[in-house]
Order: sequence, then C-alpha cells, then structure tokens
Amino acid sequence: MGHRDQSGALLRAASETASSTAPAPVSAQPPLLEMKALSKRFGPVTAVDGFEAAIAPGEFVTVVGPSGCGKSTLFNIVAGLEEPDAGSILRFEGRSCHAHELLGKVSFMPQRDLLLPWRTVIDNAIIPMEIEGQPRKASRALAREMLPEFGLAGFGDQYPHQLSGGMRQRVALMRTFMFKRELMLLDEPFGALDALTRTMMQRWLLEVWRRHKRTILFITHDVDEALFLGDRVIVMSARPGRVKLELKVDLPRPRHADLVTSPEFIGLKRIVLEAIEEEAMKSFLAPGATAPQTDTPE
Amino acid sequence: MSGSAPDTVIAAPRANSRTLQRGVLGIVLFILAWEGIARGFHLPAYTLPAVSDILASIWTKRQILLTAAGFTITEAVVGYVIGALIGVALAVVITLVPMTRAVLLPAATAINSVPVVAYSPLILLWFGIGMPSKFVMVALAVSFTVFLSTLAGFDRVDRRSVDLLRSFGAGRLAILWRLRLPTALPLMAAGLRVSTVRSIIVAIVTEMLGAYGGLGWVIYQAVLQIDFVQVWGAIFVASAASLAFFGLIGFAERRIIFWK
Repeated sequence: MGHRDQSGALLRAASETASSTAPAPVSAQPPLLEMKALSKRFGPVTAVDGFEAAIAPGEFVTVVGPSGCGKSTLFNIVAGLEEPDAGSILRFEGRSCHAHELLGKVSFMPQRDLLLPWRTVIDNAIIPMEIEGQPRKASRALAREMLPEFGLAGFGDQYPHQLSGGMRQRVALMRTFMFKRELMLLDEPFGALDALTRTMMQRWLLEVWRRHKRTILFITHDVDEALFLGDRVIVMSARPGRVKLELKVDLPRPRHADLVTSPEFIGLKRIVLEAIEEEAMKSFLAPGATAPQTDTPE
Repeated sequence: MSGSAPDTVIAAPRANSRTLQRGVLGIVLFILAWEGIARGFHLPAYTLPAVSDILASIWTKRQILLTAAGFTITEAVVGYVIGALIGVALAVVITLVPMTRAVLLPAATAINSVPVVAYSPLILLWFGIGMPSKFVMVALAVSFTVFLSTLAGFDRVDRRSVDLLRSFGAGRLAILWRLRLPTALPLMAAGLRVSTVRSIIVAIVTEMLGAYGGLGWVIYQAVLQIDFVQVWGAIFVASAASLAFFGLIGFAERRIIFWK
C-alpha cells in the first residue's frame, strides 16, 4: 500500500505540471516505468533487443515502428503477460520486478475491443472491478456515471453487437479506465476505425487523459497519431526492436485538429518519417522479410 | 453417433412459422402414405400395422404405456443429469489442472471407443436390473458427449481475451467462470441437445436387456407375445418423449444463449 500512496502523490504532482501549458514531464521525477536492456527471443527470432525507455508519471508516450518490430511483444512484457529474457531490467514504481508481478498493476487495452457478447456495456466495463472483488452494485453505479464522458450515454444496457465500431472501442477504453492503475497501455486502440472517427477519438482521448491524469503508453503505426497525442514519441527499429529515435513533442496542449497542419508539427513529422522510412527499408530488404511477420508468435 | 465434437450442430434449430407449417405438412403426408400403404396392400400387422390401429392401441393401453413411459423418462432424465454433471466436471478439471488432460482424455476416449451398449451386460450385473443400471448406462453415454463438447467449448476461447483478463489480475477460476464457461455455452448446449435423444435410446435398449418396466421392457414383452401393434405403440410413445425432451432443451438453450 505504502508505495502506491506515494506514487499517487507523484501522479498528482505530475498532473499539475501537465495541466499547466509547460511541455509535460519533469525529468527530476523518478520514472513510473523503466526498461533497460529489455530483450525477448522466440526461438530463432529476436523480437526485442536491448530496448530502453523510461516513462515519467503523468506522461503520454507514443511508440511507432514498422510492422513486426516487436511493439506488441514489448507491450505484452509491460502488461505482465510475457517474461523478458534474462538480463533485462524492468523497474516499476522505483522497484525492480518480474514481468508477471505487473499482472493486475497495469491497465492494458489490446488492439481488438474483446468485449464479451453476453454482457451489456456496463457489465463489460466493470469486469476489471469485478475481478478485483469490488461489489457489483457500486461498480455499476460508477460505470453508469462515466457513460456520458465516454459518449455512451443511454447505451449502458445495450449489448456489444448493437454498437458501432467506434462505440465498442469507447466501451473498451472505458473498461481500461475503470481499472484504476497509474499506467495505461493502449495497443493501437484506434487501428480498426475509419480516419474520421479516429481523429475524433484522438481528441476525445486527450480530453479524457487530461481529466483522469494517468500515464499512458500508446502503440500506433500512424505517425500523425503518435505526434498528435504524445508528449514524447519513441520510434522503434525494424526487428529486433530497439529504440531508433526518441523525440520530445514540444507542442502546446490542449491540442486542436488544425495542429497537424502547423509547420512545427510538419517539422517533427519529417524527422519521424525519415527514421521510420529507414527502418522500413531495412526490414523490407532483410532476408526472409517477405514471410509474414507477426509481432508475437502464438 | 458417438459424440464427436458436434461442430455442425452449433446453432439451435430456430423454427419460424413457415418451416413449422412445412414440417407439419411433411408429417401428415407421411402418416397418410403409411396408412394408405398398410390398408391398401392389406399388410399383416407383423409387417406394418396401419397408423390408425397403432393410435387406437395406444389409447386402449394408455395406462400401461404411460407407466412405462414414466419409467423410461425417469431413467433417461436422472441419467442425463448425472452424465451432464460428470461431463462438465471433467472438462472443468482438465481446464483448471492442465496436467490431467494427458490422463483423462485418453481414458475417457478408450472407455467410449466401443458403443456404450456393449457395457450393458456388465452394468446389469453390477447394478441389478432395476433403475440404477439404467442411470449408469445413460450417464455413461451422456457424460462423454457433454465432456467432449464442453472441453471443445472451453478450448475455443480467444487467447487475447484470456490475456486481457489475466492483465486485470484474474486467476484460472475467474477466467473459467467469466470467460470460458459463457464462451463454451453454445457448444455445450449442442452436446446437451444431442444427448437428450441418446439418453432415451440408451435407456430403452438397456431395458430390453433386463428391466422391471419401461418402454424397452414393453417392446420386449410385446415381441414375445407377437403383439406388433403394441411394439409400434411403444415406439410412438418413445419417439414423442424423445422429441419433447429435445425440444425442451432446445427451448432452454435459446432462452439462455441470447447473444448468438
């Protein structure tokens, strides 16, 4: 309990700085999550090799990279689903830990919404609280209060098959938010949405993030999305995945839709695109690159 | 018949009024043809009695047939419930303790690699010719089908959904209850539906080999007395009982699995 209270205080401190227009996180703060020499091999394939990053409390960090660069492997490790290879260093809330110790400590949102078809919107959203053993009635009431904020007012008792793709994704996000953890991992949450819905969802996510004050690690393959959302963009190299480029996004918040056409944005975008292009060519030219690449071998 | 995972019968039959009309029409035509053939060719009762004669016989012997049907249905339902519970329990054990899969699955398959009826002499010897032997036989037949379909259902769950619940800190039991069980329901229901008919069949066959009552016993006695109208009467009643049991489970299935 002790360390959680402490990090809660850190989180509040971080959000105070974030809410002022100063370009987010203060490096003086100890990072919430730290990865060093993080590696993962699956048989002959090295998915991640020597990945390094530190995420400060309250920060919004986006990760971009060519397909098959080990982004999902990285996320599975941070979510506690997969152990990194020996020699990797993983620190959470200032303590070194095994990946599996992160199970139940990080709120994780996979690419697909994975809503349960036999549960209503409300009951899907409260699954994490149910698993924590919280009383169902209170959880439901809390979820019902949150519906409008997630654009789901009046849809609480609908079933997933009655919703559009964008709404289903918002239910999945709401489920992730209801699992109250300092660190949120979002794995291409808007990947399956059409361009228009996607930009709406991005602005909406920034708004929700501002209010809820969480730390977010966000995977995407969309450079615009990475720059528009993040305080910092990490570009991953082609497989084996390591950090190719780390870029601070010094753009003012709150961010509006027209930001993407500003010269500052375009300038940053050029840098990121160049780095990605280089890596994409590498993985394209690499022997065996024509074989379908998957982030995580099943 | 011996319950291979019934993938082809996942969806419960959903009757709309048109298919219902056609079904009734088909049955009526079939009965008329039967009646016409039996009467037109003056077929003897041991070849094929007329439907009207069978129905008349059922009415006059309704007391015997009702008692017998009560016997058989009790055996089938009790055996069915025991078998279903055993089948689901085995699948749950294998899912919660994966080590047991390598032992339980081959053993269950070996026991069921011969038709269950082959065990009936032994079961009658061990449990006597009263109802308990029928419970055991029915349970044996039902448990395997339900076990296989439930296990297939548990295994069908999306790996990513399991990972999601694990990331929320869920253990095996929570995953089983909140994810695997609901995911498995459609396949379980298919197994349970197929098992209704099997349970009546196995109860009747076992009765024919030794019993104090029941439809199988009535059929056997009627054959000894060369009363073939009575044989058909018992078959009609058994068929009606089977259909009712099947329909009841199908109805429950449609009510419970609303999201399909």
